[in-house]
Amino acid sequence: MKILVLVVVVLMGSAVQAQTVSETLIRNATVLTVTRGTLTNTDVLIRNGKIAAVGKNLNASANARVIDATGKFVMPGIIDCHSHSMLDATNEGTLAVTSMVRTQDVLDPTDGNLYRALAGGVTTLNLLHGSANPIGGLNSVVKLKYGRSASEFLFPGAMPGIKFALGENVKRSSTPNQPGVTRRYPNTRMGVEEVIRDAFTRARDYKRAWDEYRAASAKDKNVIPPRRDLQLEPLVEILEGRRYVHAHCYIVSEILMLINLADEFGFKIKTFQHVLEGYKVAKEIAAHGAGASIFADSWGYKIEAYDAIPYAAAIMTRAGVVVSMNSDSDERARRLNIEAAKAMHWGDLTEEQALKTITLNPAIQLGIQERVGSIEVGKDADVAIWNGHPFSVYSRVETTFIDGTVFFDRQQDLARRSERAKERATLEQADPNKPPARGQSPATPRRRPPTHEGGEIEQEEERP
Amino acid sequence: MPKVHPRRIVALFCTVALAAVCAVRETHAQRTAVETYAITNARIVTVSGPIIDRGTVVIRNGLIAAAGANVSPPPDARVIDGSGLTVYPGLIDSYTNLAVPEPSPGPSPAGGGGGGFFLAQQQRPATGGPNSTQPAGLQPEVMVEDVIRPSGTEIESSRSIGITTALTAPRSGVWMGQSALINLAGDTPQQMIVRSPVAMHVSFTPLRGGYPGSLMGVFSALRQMMLDAQRYRESMQIYERNPRGLRRPEVDRSLAALVPVVAGQMPVVMLANTEREISRALDLAAEFKLRLIIAGGRESDRVADRLKQQNVPVLLSLNLPRRTTAAMPEADPETMRVLRSRVEAQQTAGKLAKAGVRFAFQSGSLANISDLMLNASRVIENGLSSADAVRAFTIWPAEILGVSNQLGSIEAGKIANLTVTRGDLFDRNRTVAHVFIDGRPVDLRPPTDRQGDRPGGRPSLSGPWSLNVKLGPEEKTAALTLQQEGERVTGSIAGSLGAGEISNASMTADEVRFTVSLQIEGQTKEATFTGTLSGNEIRGAVTVVGAAPGTFTATRVRPN
Repeated sequence: MKILVLVVVVLMGSAVQAQTVSETLIRNATVLTVTRGTLTNTDVLIRNGKIAAVGKNLNASANARVIDATGKFVMPGIIDCHSHSMLDATNEGTLAVTSMVRTQDVLDPTDGNLYRALAGGVTTLNLLHGSANPIGGLNSVVKLKYGRSASEFLFPGAMPGIKFALGENVKRSSTPNQPGVTRRYPNTRMGVEEVIRDAFTRARDYKRAWDEYRAASAKDKNVIPPRRDLQLEPLVEILEGRRYVHAHCYIVSEILMLINLADEFGFKIKTFQHVLEGYKVAKEIAAHGAGASIFADSWGYKIEAYDAIPYAAAIMTRAGVVVSMNSDSDERARRLNIEAAKAMHWGDLTEEQALKTITLNPAIQLGIQERVGSIEVGKDADVAIWNGHPFSVYSRVETTFIDGTVFFDRQQDLARRSERAKERATLEQADPNKPPARGQSPATPRRRPPTHEGGEIEQEEERP
Repeated sequence: MPKVHPRRIVALFCTVALAAVCAVRETHAQRTAVETYAITNARIVTVSGPIIDRGTVVIRNGLIAAAGANVSPPPDARVIDGSGLTVYPGLIDSYTNLAVPEPSPGPSPAGGGGGGFFLAQQQRPATGGPNSTQPAGLQPEVMVEDVIRPSGTEIESSRSIGITTALTAPRSGVWMGQSALINLAGDTPQQMIVRSPVAMHVSFTPLRGGYPGSLMGVFSALRQMMLDAQRYRESMQIYERNPRGLRRPEVDRSLAALVPVVAGQMPVVMLANTEREISRALDLAAEFKLRLIIAGGRESDRVADRLKQQNVPVLLSLNLPRRTTAAMPEADPETMRVLRSRVEAQQTAGKLAKAGVRFAFQSGSLANISDLMLNASRVIENGLSSADAVRAFTIWPAEILGVSNQLGSIEAGKIANLTVTRGDLFDRNRTVAHVFIDGRPVDLRPPTDRQGDRPGGRPSLSGPWSLNVKLGPEEKTAALTLQQEGERVTGSIAGSLGAGEISNASMTADEVRFTVSLQIEGQTKEATFTGTLSGNEIRGAVTVVGAAPGTFTATRVRPN
């Protein structure tokens, strides 16, 4: 594990000039299609951002870029169904219901973590609001088009979503009482349910008020319209099936509570996030039609995370739940391939089932399965070339494509390093970077040795 | 013995000389209302027309009466020999908090400085005025006109480097309130004001102790209040058309103040420095069809195309980032991004001019206002023509702020604000010989360091800090670098907790607040730091969703 982390740290050093080539032919690779099995000695033809053909001995036009991938593996771009990368703010924690806030307003397309994720073969993220409140903010589904403007990251056609959260974080059991200060309601799991029920009751009334206004204003121009309420509008969209709910949760009682509440109001939970006890109610989750987006074997980090088992992915998959592995971490996002591999190790999922947990299944959970998640003709050319099987800790990504354009390339990255060192030297000598004249300036700073696993963060922030 | 600058001696000399003039002027003023001055034999940079190599400017009754090569001083004029001097239109600082009183440091609103983020909405006093429907920070009805004070060392410092006019805006808030354009002389606020209100002001700085407490919430709160203002306007129109049979809509001062904004009549100044902040401002302006002006604008050259296309001008800060301290031997090297941004900030003005984006200079809360012209000369060395630099201090701000009929050039009939220098305005050795505001010469005192003479002497947060964080059983250290501009703070963190830029940062009174993404127990978590600055130390609380609250101490690496 540590080797892999370090490899990725080394990789993310420098920028890749995103290249637009209308046609690319990846030759003679082992192709992990996810939906059509594993194809050996197979070519993948990418044309105009789409997968144009998959097969043996394909022909490309004369000006196509041809990559010899003999001995290499091609897999669909990894989709991370729970990320907080790229966000300049994660939580609006002041209120219990913050469905008016949007992650899309605070995207940072220059976040260096995005490049690191690309180096791990990731191409799509579900950017979620934090878990500070029962009903949190709106999500953004993005393609990692690092180097482009924030608006170009947005995944066209992805279903809009929202973050819900239950349990310890929401009732803030870790926040101590302070004299003279009122704690934000709710403080119990009962209160959490009440907050959500109240919000949807208000949303129903809100929808009715607008329906009545529309009917009345058709006859009478002098009717004052109801107030547009940005908090309730997304909840109406949920009731109308136009917005997916991604609900952070841990324990059985709160999972069942939310399923019952959703049934009562007639909407669906699209994914339960974390859902570490989901294996205990796998049948109920499957019956509701919800997916589960989980960690492979991360648990015990708080009380509600004590009852987790590493067999959860396998148990839920066999019960018919669509399961994905997410990162919830800028660091884990670089090695989601290994998280998927763990699902084969714990619980004997097949290779295809395990692959699906980071490709097609998260695509289904985000409503983008017609576009990405497998290597099929007509799908977006979001693929990565690996130098070995992605389930090996010794494998690394060579090239990552999104819509047929290269956004990470290991060779280009290595080639640019000396150039970047020169640029740094020049920048250090520029007037505004000179320390104020106060005697001798110290020699080139030394790097501190890594003191903590995963804690050594590469400082060369990449500019797109 | 303190070091005395040669420039200061000259300035001192000027002060003594002008004091004599002023003494005469005051007795004179009692006898006749019309004051007339003539500056003869001077080089005149009219800005509106060609430069006059040798000419006369006549000032009468507060206005420019005439300017030209063949103008003779009237017989009643007090004549100032301008040999060797250059006359410019009075310089305009297009974004300041001049004459706006600072809030006094008070007790922490979070009750002991801990955990404000997770707790219920605190009672916040409404400072905007009586009967506001909104908490402080969301009161667009606040008008700077109501609170400005006509004196202070900051005003004198600005004048001493040749600034005659300033846009002055409220200091804090999301909806900060409405600004005024003031001349930097006058005995009363009423005498100073050239135009009020000029614009609505917005900053993307979250509030403390209540919604919106994050950058996301800021945008939602702005959006909701603009929607409410649209509905307010519509409801009032419907009601006024035919009140019979309609329930009377409630009167709301906050929403009423936003009506001219959403109607596209009043410009909105949004504080935005980075490319993404500016893009967000542009998006919001497009969504609500606002008349946007960007203030700050450090990376505005990167969105020059959009600025030009949406016809959005920039009030460009000349508070250029510089490395403030030498790196400590044990520190991580600075990121390429930081190194690049310091170099590129000097090139922004030149690139904007080339791209045809309208802009004006502003001082951006420079700690030492005398750096303003030095930084302007750096900008000129990095690609801006000096003629455009003069424009960015004169006619361009006048145009952007809607006062080009009154200010910004030396033309008959305009307000007699003049800056007279010995040497070119951007020459590092130039001195300011005279400053006229509303047709009267003003005292020139050498500029003083702003932070030094603030009441209470509040030091700036800018510089490197050593951060120690206790979260649960873990104790970790990191390097924290902060940059303060007024109440807005930016910076970055690097160490075993992770590395990245801080966001949502602010400093009000002695309270510091910022958020940053940290690696905690294998998850990326957003941590909110709230602390109190005392000398060279910030102490306070760290709150993380889903973790027990912790404490932190930040210590200045190079103590003041």
